[in-house]
Amino acid sequence: MSKLITIDPVTRIEGHLRIDVEVDGGAVKNAWSSGTMWRGIETILQGRDPRDAWIFTQRICGVCTTVHAIASVRSVENALGLEIPLNAQLIRNLIVTAHTLHDHIVHFYQLSALDWVDVTSALKADPVKAAQLAESISSWPGNSKHELAAVKARLEGFVKAGQMGIFTNGYWGHPAMKLSPEVNLLAVAHYLQALEIQRKANMAVAILGSKTPNIQNLAVGGVANAINLDSPAALNMEKLYQVKTLIDEVATFVQQCYLPDVAAIGGFYPDWFKYGAGVTNYLSVPELPLDEKMSKFDIPGGVLWNGKLELAHKLAGWNDDYLKQNVTESIAHAHYDGAWAKGPWEEDDKPKFAGEWKHETPAPDRYTWVKAPRLEGKPVQVGPLACVLVGLASGHEPTTRWATAAIGAVKAIHKIDLTPAHLHSTLGRHAARAIRAAMMAEMAQKQWKLLVENIGKGDTRIWVDPMANLKPGIYKGVGFHEAPRGTLSHWCVIEADKKGMKLKNYQCVVPSTWNAGPRDASGTLGPYEKSLVGNPIADPKLPLEALRTIHSFDPCLACAIHTVDAEGDEIARVKVL
Amino acid sequence: MARIAVFGIGNVLTGDDAVGPYVVKVLEARWELPGVEVVDAGTPGLDLTAYFAGLDAAILVDAVKARAAPGELRTYSREDLVKRSPVLAVSPHEPGLREAVMNAEFMGVCPATVRLVGVVAERTDLGCALSPSVQAAVPAAVEQVLSELRALGVAPRPRDPPVEPDLWWEKGRAG
Repeated sequence: MSKLITIDPVTRIEGHLRIDVEVDGGAVKNAWSSGTMWRGIETILQGRDPRDAWIFTQRICGVCTTVHAIASVRSVENALGLEIPLNAQLIRNLIVTAHTLHDHIVHFYQLSALDWVDVTSALKADPVKAAQLAESISSWPGNSKHELAAVKARLEGFVKAGQMGIFTNGYWGHPAMKLSPEVNLLAVAHYLQALEIQRKANMAVAILGSKTPNIQNLAVGGVANAINLDSPAALNMEKLYQVKTLIDEVATFVQQCYLPDVAAIGGFYPDWFKYGAGVTNYLSVPELPLDEKMSKFDIPGGVLWNGKLELAHKLAGWNDDYLKQNVTESIAHAHYDGAWAKGPWEEDDKPKFAGEWKHETPAPDRYTWVKAPRLEGKPVQVGPLACVLVGLASGHEPTTRWATAAIGAVKAIHKIDLTPAHLHSTLGRHAARAIRAAMMAEMAQKQWKLLVENIGKGDTRIWVDPMANLKPGIYKGVGFHEAPRGTLSHWCVIEADKKGMKLKNYQCVVPSTWNAGPRDASGTLGPYEKSLVGNPIADPKLPLEALRTIHSFDPCLACAIHTVDAEGDEIARVKVL
Repeated sequence: MARIAVFGIGNVLTGDDAVGPYVVKVLEARWELPGVEVVDAGTPGLDLTAYFAGLDAAILVDAVKARAAPGELRTYSREDLVKRSPVLAVSPHEPGLREAVMNAEFMGVCPATVRLVGVVAERTDLGCALSPSVQAAVPAAVEQVLSELRALGVAPRPRDPPVEPDLWWEKGRAG
């Protein structure tokens, strides 16, 4: 007898993610992923000056700050065929890497660690034993027995007050929780320490971006950070060294704490290296351009099919026509008028709501506001896992080295032999995110060095004027960014005349659309949907295991409306018929 | 000197949800607030916890859902906010203001005073303009923030001359 379960956080946020699963015999038989709001931000941009687009797109999402700004300026620059001064590329690269580190750390510790960590079990931990265990895993200095005893005391005080606060809806004591009290205590300690590191990564972005959460230093054609080593108002050596100090501290945390934590926690859940693979086609785009023409990149891009660790298509750069010719979006099962699959430049969205889908009832034909992106007509998974697998298939040295380190850590702690093939899984996505973070931390340090060397040569150029040689006409462009959640692309169509230029069309194809998208016209499931099939569900009333797999993707349906529901009770609605 | 910040929370691209950023932009343009940091924070999710760290008091302005007419003000204390259950987080957006406060409490970085000046929203669909009822509530919301600040010992001074608030998202299109 199968049961339908709806996981729908009843929040003040419109447009959040809803997951429906059909469970039979303790496992997921079928799954549907849906986004509950039309995200037609693109219509706001029509008719506007393309030079302003990034300011608006940055506001699509306050969690993924910076990424829509970066993709947007790259899109307009690509349309106009601009070359970007090296300093601007490197300053953007620094912002990209610092933001990525921040995002990956927050995702693991604050959004998904509690799927695996039982906070209440940490109350039974022996801080001395926990400190000894930690010492055997890593040299991170935040693991002293005094530190851990203090964390345990804080937790005890918190629970004694009868207030679980933020942990109220946790899955404490769930049979799927497997960590020892000591590992749980370490995880709680690092959850607390991660906040300080998160702030440091934010500060690095703020110094370069003039502000967070919404950076202000970008411009179509480059950046607005005047470089003058002798001026307190400009980007000078003092500010650059502040950035370096912050990046170095974040890098230490990622390499000595975050990566070992993922290895330590993951090894207690070996089954989860088997579940959750889903769609094993992967796409990742080149990132961190190293020259003005964007012909060289620090992180490679490419496409892999069917879980094979070989590049089916190598993406040498952003101007590779392969993506322009092979990306389509299908609206067959989404709330739009029509059933087409079109390329982003050709899309003409007409939203048409097909009606409410009652919880715990069979899925209607059209069940989501999210389109289904396809590459060569096939679903692909994007995200840190795609980036790491493409890195491995390309022989990218830092990615390979950190992947080897992660696999080695699991073996050292748990005596479990993992191979890159195990990365196609729920835990594999977490492992890949930690591997990517460790690699990105090195990249951040490298971009800093390149920037300081280039300024040292006397180059202070930061911007080219996009209007300087603009001829009337229609221009099409696409801006790619390998964002923390995966491949992001902004597609624009610009009309220029003697007076100026305006946007005729604008489409954002965001990472969570690739992953959270629905079935296409042929009925092929999207990555979230397929990854859930076969997942165990021990207790249909508490579908923790489904959340584990969904959280491993780091979902973000970019459309937060943060109206606080100040008087209504908000609980997750998880009902079973 | 107490460390105090005012945060405007909300998405400027979705109708009345812009009221938080809108109010702080007006506040910045019309008032000098010695020793107070004013932040248009957008939709920070759990990052709000990081902004709380190191503060003695945080005043938040946001659109709220409440049993009241659109445009009505509702002010909530930290205790009001945390007495309800947090929401199950599926994506980083679900941890909202309430969860950020709870998270800050667990982490030991919650400001002693947290006040939410809420404006009841009428529409939060796509668009860069406040509905008339919420627009009309802006002066009262600004006044409410000022009175919260005065209660904390801040002495706001009218900016002379006042500047126009930077409501860039409401500006017209090119051509």
